[in-house]
Amino acid sequence: MLGRVTQGTITNQLLRNINRNMSQMQGLQEQLSTGMKINRPSDDPVGITYSLRYRSDLSLNERYQENVNSAASWLDFNDTLLSQVGDVVKRVKELAIQGSNDTNPNVALDNIAAEIKQLKEQLVEIGNSQFKGKYVFNGQFTDEKPYDSLANAAGKITDDLGIEYMISSGISIKVNLTGNEVFGFPPTGVTAPQNEDDNLFNVLDQIISNLESGNTSAVSDQLPLLDSRMDKILTQRAELGARVNRVELMEQRLQDLNLNLTTLQSKTEDAEIEDVLIKAKVNETIYQASLSVGAKVIQPSLVDFLR
Amino acid sequence: MRSTFHAIETAKRSLFTQQAALQTTGHNVANANTVGYTRQVVNMTASKPMEAIGMSSSTTPGQLGTGVEFSSITRIRENFLDSQFRNENKTHGSWSIQADTLQKLETIVNEPSDTGLRAVLDNFWKSWHDLSENPEDITARKLVRETAKAVTDAFNQTARQLEELSADITENIGVKANQINTSLETISSLNLQIRKIEGLGDNANDLRDQRDLLMDELSKVINVTSVETNDGEYQVMMGGTVLVDNGEFTPVTVESLQASFAGGDLSGGEVHGMIISRDQYVANYQQQLNTLVNGLANGDITVTIPAGAVLPDGITLDNITYSGTARTLTSPLTVTVKGLNGLHQLGYTMMDPPQAGGTFFASNDGGPLTAGNMSLNANILADAGYIASSMRTTGTPEAVVKGNKDLAMLISQFSEMKIDFSSVAVGAATAQGSVNDFFRSIVGQLGVEAEEANRQTTNAKIVVDQVDSRRQSVSGVSLDEEMSNMVKFQHAYNAAARFMTTIDETLDRIINGMGTVGR
Repeated sequence: MLGRVTQGTITNQLLRNINRNMSQMQGLQEQLSTGMKINRPSDDPVGITYSLRYRSDLSLNERYQENVNSAASWLDFNDTLLSQVGDVVKRVKELAIQGSNDTNPNVALDNIAAEIKQLKEQLVEIGNSQFKGKYVFNGQFTDEKPYDSLANAAGKITDDLGIEYMISSGISIKVNLTGNEVFGFPPTGVTAPQNEDDNLFNVLDQIISNLESGNTSAVSDQLPLLDSRMDKILTQRAELGARVNRVELMEQRLQDLNLNLTTLQSKTEDAEIEDVLIKAKVNETIYQASLSVGAKVIQPSLVDFLR
Repeated sequence: MRSTFHAIETAKRSLFTQQAALQTTGHNVANANTVGYTRQVVNMTASKPMEAIGMSSSTTPGQLGTGVEFSSITRIRENFLDSQFRNENKTHGSWSIQADTLQKLETIVNEPSDTGLRAVLDNFWKSWHDLSENPEDITARKLVRETAKAVTDAFNQTARQLEELSADITENIGVKANQINTSLETISSLNLQIRKIEGLGDNANDLRDQRDLLMDELSKVINVTSVETNDGEYQVMMGGTVLVDNGEFTPVTVESLQASFAGGDLSGGEVHGMIISRDQYVANYQQQLNTLVNGLANGDITVTIPAGAVLPDGITLDNITYSGTARTLTSPLTVTVKGLNGLHQLGYTMMDPPQAGGTFFASNDGGPLTAGNMSLNANILADAGYIASSMRTTGTPEAVVKGNKDLAMLISQFSEMKIDFSSVAVGAATAQGSVNDFFRSIVGQLGVEAEEANRQTTNAKIVVDQVDSRRQSVSGVSLDEEMSNMVKFQHAYNAAARFMTTIDETLDRIINGMGTVGR
């Protein structure tokens, strides 16, 4: 390459090469110590944009997983409440059938009425259940007791808007049931968006007053209404179950997505340690060789050999 | 007819010349490691022979040599390599500064990391999810406020670092201007000395070395070319601007350098790299950050407000003003609002009676919103209850439905909403994209620029090194060579001395040994 080689040229070239070996070593060492091949945007300008995307997506995905868990616990809680309501209704039905029997003495009817009264109170209590300090059956009025009056429970119109949870980007799921959906809308005669004669509280009120007045046939007239409400509650439970399924599916999907994103992020960002290790080892050898050669090259000149 | 003592003169000339050559060899060896030193050679020529042509010339065969003399001592140097070196050096100077600045920018951006702007923004969006889980809560609101503060802090800090970087560069240009002036002054005074010395017919080798070294150093700072005048002076030019001429130099200032950059005369060197770094990279990054901040706060976005929402009284959306019963939406409404601020104003704070949300982000100095002055709305800073999450009111007198979280949910999706950045772009129009998209594109662009600058720097460095090697190969001192020369000159000197002795003996024979027959 060069016609004339001087000590200066050799020294400069040696220094340059040793420096280059050093900076290569530094790059590899950085990859080894951080475990990442992208340590700054210029390491891979395209990779960094992916890396940032995966990181954001992962972080959001984790948040959605939390949302899914919260949604699932809401739904579970609702399901428990509905099963409690179902138990109460079952008991009411047994008592009502017992009470519709003509042969009962008045005292017995009064006892039955008293127990149903207790059951109604129980139902109102269920209707006023709170989850994490929020009333669950009052739509978005989570800070308002839905069934504040025991006597007027039948005429209560609960808030009809839902509580939604974002379970994935742009996808939300309703987690609540309104009191009217579970216990029924107010019976005919009350101004409401919708009237349902099988309002549970109304049915119970009717049964109690009929039992108290000894009108057993009227009690048996209420039985079909009790059945239709029970059916509606079961339908609600079924729908709740479907929503739980959906949430569980989403949970599975989010987990899969999490795995995918983590894999992608790792592929984009992470250094392949074996690869880097081997390169680093090779580089170290070269570096040491350049040093030892340097030590030999710098020293001798003609001066050393002239007497 | 030759003189009796002719040969003594010849021997003397030889002795002197070989000694001069030895002396120069010693000088070369002494300066083997001097930066910018050019090896020197003694140019020997056979001196003028005896007996020029003429009528009275003798008939002896001739011509008889008269020995050696040295006509000059010169540097071994190629001017072409010098200009090539300076040309490449300015490129290297410019790119190395650009690469350096971009590396600093990369440090400021601090990505990929779990603490950079991206992570802070992600946490902010996540806090809105928390709020949407507990919209009745003041705790969740405080969390939103704190993460929002972290966002404004991160933007403020980045903006401040960028300003500092920009100021640092300006200061450095001043330092470089001083350095340039010192070099120019020394070059012009060297010019004068060289002219004086060379006017007498000598070669001012070492002074020229110093001047060339200064030119080399200068060529790293700015683009310089030199033209040598007949009397040995350098006329130094930066593009079309004359910096040194006729023993005078024109000092540069930060302003004059800036003007030369604008006029195109300053086209390379570190100062060039600094001005590009400051006015392009840093300024561009500042501008992009400001666009990002404005897009986040005020950029046009399209949102769908769910049915059941009750709009704040008198609000105007897409040129329709909502009041009275029209405020209650019976079906979802898709409208364009102005960024997070516009979105936040669609909802209600926790205050009673209902109060529509205010702007979310605001500038803390009243000026246009920038990354540097971005802050939270003063009300929110004072009381997190001013953060809106509900979009619904009920009853008379109206009360906010605290369990409604439509707004919190909308905002939690904000990170994926397409913002029309052209509606707020500071400077050139920018395309649509989410906040994250935009930030990614900024980081990506920075990465590409830094990668390019790094590559260019490495390339330029290799070229500079190559040219320098070639120059060294021509001008550098080779100890081996000098040692061989030394041996050569020493032998020549010894031989000349021996010759002198021989002549001495010859003369001794003539003077003392002849005409003494029979003594």
